[in-house]
Amino acid sequence: MGQDSFTPQKRSSTGGGLPTTNNAAAGGGRSRVLAGMPRGRQIHKTFNNIKITILCGFVTILVLRGTIGVGNLGSSEADAVNQNLIEETSRILAEIRSDSDPTDPDEPPETEINPNTTYTLGLKISDWDQQRKVWLSENPEFPNFVNGKARILLVTGSPPNPCDNAIGDHYLLKAIKNKIDYCRLHGVEIVYNMAHLDKELAGYWAKLPLIRRLMLSHPEVEWIWWMDSDAFFTDMVFEIPLSKYDKYNLVVHGYPDLMFEQKSWIALNTGSFLFRNCQWSLDLLDAWAPMGPKGSIREEAGKVLTANLKGRPAFEADDQSALIYLLLSQKEMWMEKVFLENQYYLHGYWAGLVDRYEEMMEKYHPGLGDERWPFVTHFVGCKPCGSYGDYPVERCLRSMQRAFNFADNQVLKLYGFRHRGLLGPNIKRIRNETVTPLEIVDELDIRRSTHEKTETRS
Amino acid sequence: DAHSKRVESRRLLEEAQNDAAQGDNNDNKNYAEFDIAKILIDEEEGEKEKPDPNKPYSLGPKISDWDQQISEWLKTNPDFPNFIGPNKPRVLLVTGSSPKPCENPVGDHYLLKSIKNKIDYCRKLLLSHPEIEFLWWMDSDAMFTDMAYELPWERYKDFNMVMHGWNEMVYNDKNWIGLNTGSFLLRNCQWSLDLLDAWAPMGPKGKVREEAGKILTRELKDRPVFEADDQSAIVYLLVKERAKWGEKVYLENAYYLHGYWGILVDRYEEMIENYHPGLGDHRWPLVTHFVGCKPCGKFGDYSVERCLRQMDRAFNFGDNQILQMYGFTHKSLASRRVKRVRNETGNPLEVKDEFGLLHPSFKAVKVSASS
Repeated sequence: MGQDSFTPQKRSSTGGGLPTTNNAAAGGGRSRVLAGMPRGRQIHKTFNNIKITILCGFVTILVLRGTIGVGNLGSSEADAVNQNLIEETSRILAEIRSDSDPTDPDEPPETEINPNTTYTLGLKISDWDQQRKVWLSENPEFPNFVNGKARILLVTGSPPNPCDNAIGDHYLLKAIKNKIDYCRLHGVEIVYNMAHLDKELAGYWAKLPLIRRLMLSHPEVEWIWWMDSDAFFTDMVFEIPLSKYDKYNLVVHGYPDLMFEQKSWIALNTGSFLFRNCQWSLDLLDAWAPMGPKGSIREEAGKVLTANLKGRPAFEADDQSALIYLLLSQKEMWMEKVFLENQYYLHGYWAGLVDRYEEMMEKYHPGLGDERWPFVTHFVGCKPCGSYGDYPVERCLRSMQRAFNFADNQVLKLYGFRHRGLLGPNIKRIRNETVTPLEIVDELDIRRSTHEKTETRS
Repeated sequence: DAHSKRVESRRLLEEAQNDAAQGDNNDNKNYAEFDIAKILIDEEEGEKEKPDPNKPYSLGPKISDWDQQISEWLKTNPDFPNFIGPNKPRVLLVTGSSPKPCENPVGDHYLLKSIKNKIDYCRKLLLSHPEIEFLWWMDSDAMFTDMAYELPWERYKDFNMVMHGWNEMVYNDKNWIGLNTGSFLLRNCQWSLDLLDAWAPMGPKGKVREEAGKILTRELKDRPVFEADDQSAIVYLLVKERAKWGEKVYLENAYYLHGYWGILVDRYEEMIENYHPGLGDHRWPLVTHFVGCKPCGKFGDYSVERCLRQMDRAFNFGDNQILQMYGFTHKSLASRRVKRVRNETGNPLEVKDEFGLLHPSFKAVKVSASS
């Protein structure tokens, strides 16, 4: 509440308490947390605190000058105040982004886990199907099927720190809004995670302990759907044809020939996949995790993967390559229950899709989910939360904005609006207001059309 | 066949992508050097609707039979009831923020400030969602800090609008902060449409909003000079037309439907020590609302450092209640790192999380005889 120009009612005391700068363990590709000597850290921290207190006082003085200050300050001086304030904020932000956690004297310095012991995700559970079955029968008010549909939990997340640049956070916001919209329309619950549950498995591997934890805590959930933060829904109508997967436990976008003939490192994509909540999935997660622990295990595993998978560059083990390798080397154990889906874009690689949105809008319609109207557009390689991507920034951001608007148009339609173009933020009216709005609702509400489809199926 | 064609084209695509990357005029891959303003422009200029300055502002064509329309729709759509439990109305939480990146580099991470057309949104959403019984507007700078608290829906059965506030401060003192519109409930019914119609006129940007601001400053206690805002406008409306609206407006202060951050954030540790989630009030506030911080704009009313630091603490305070469901908690209210607080077990289903948030009764599905 409140406007930009009004004099504030209350002012908090300036220079207040000392801030604590903090940082979580790093995600893949970004700066690593340094394990330093405790005393050195103390000194460093004190110095930081002093710096921040001074900065803080400086900022406050500037703000006071800018607001309480006399109205006859020339605009150039106001600009200078602006500029200073922005710089100060940036500096504070850099502090927040940069460094270490406040001291925890009880915490031992971080050591790598012993490569001779096998890493485990958690205590081995062998009777999960049974445990779950019993729980469901004892808790009928938390069924795994609701209104004839299996209960799905969409899981996504991002690192706990601000992105390296503000634009990264802006697109995280747009991406989560996009997911909130799809899930609201389709009765899917979302978990957005910003915590590293297991510091060994940070980065892209963080999804493994998270998925396991959620499965065990939510027996009422039938399918866990992991989705990367850089993946956008672009078909707001399409629903996953779950009945197709009655005999499967893992659904992932991929191509059998790339997988079994080429052994390509991009034979499947772990940016958007579904795991059934069952013993088999727990077992797969356990088999998948060993290449993940950071440090020498992950480095060495990376070499194995590069040696065995076609086209894979040299870098530490990633969850996607590891899964491909696992499914290839233990094919008989797992593949029977794995569905490599490519009839629709459970994951849709962005580069081939984003330039065709106008063509799609002209020729097709939402609900198809495939190359005519992709279900998911996934911005692999763009990495807007980091400092550098694999592709030109302008191309990535432009494309992400287009995907966002393309999807948003489908949500706004019910309310009678659409974006003016696929790039800009502004919207325009496409339907006049009416005194009988419910006729439109009957026609256009996505929730109702998908509900009808379920009814006829069951 | 189509399948291998698709695979082939994908492969070609990736190679082409690499070529294209080289050929781009601008192949800068560094996000720090990029100005997003280059991209966020509208191609279709012109044809911007300019409202007729002579026509009085209106939210849309007048509807007078909304209660009947809803009632009939609900009858023909039994699968979308407006109550999903005996005392549980269907509620739609509405919030929003600017479509453009924040003016300030840190704003996008912490929060994004909403635009001020919540009144427009409310009306549009009420009309598009007859299955919704209550709309719950929440400012983007408000955070949930009590994850266990469930609103006392039965308390509001005879009311159509619920805001945090005090009767005396509004009706006796005419104080502009006698209530807060950062978090409020609006029932989906004719009364609400009429209220929105009466509330909106001070809103239109420009001369109308400026002039209205002067009236509000004059009429309301302690209000500074600035353009009309939705909060002052509704205080003014309630005071002026109390007989018309007052009876259906509940000014709630038994819990923090909106909780001003300034008096709450320093007490989180004390709350953790002495109380527990589920109270919703001063002991454990449902909502902590960062009025005045404006992290998305350039200038807030409070020091940047205090705002950001406290927003982090409030976020963690709330997040801890979610994390404890899974056996974790933040290492401190300032820390982004988490630690385990509950050991793993081979029987995860026997573990109950402390506040019963994993499978709370308010999430229970009605068990129908025929399923």
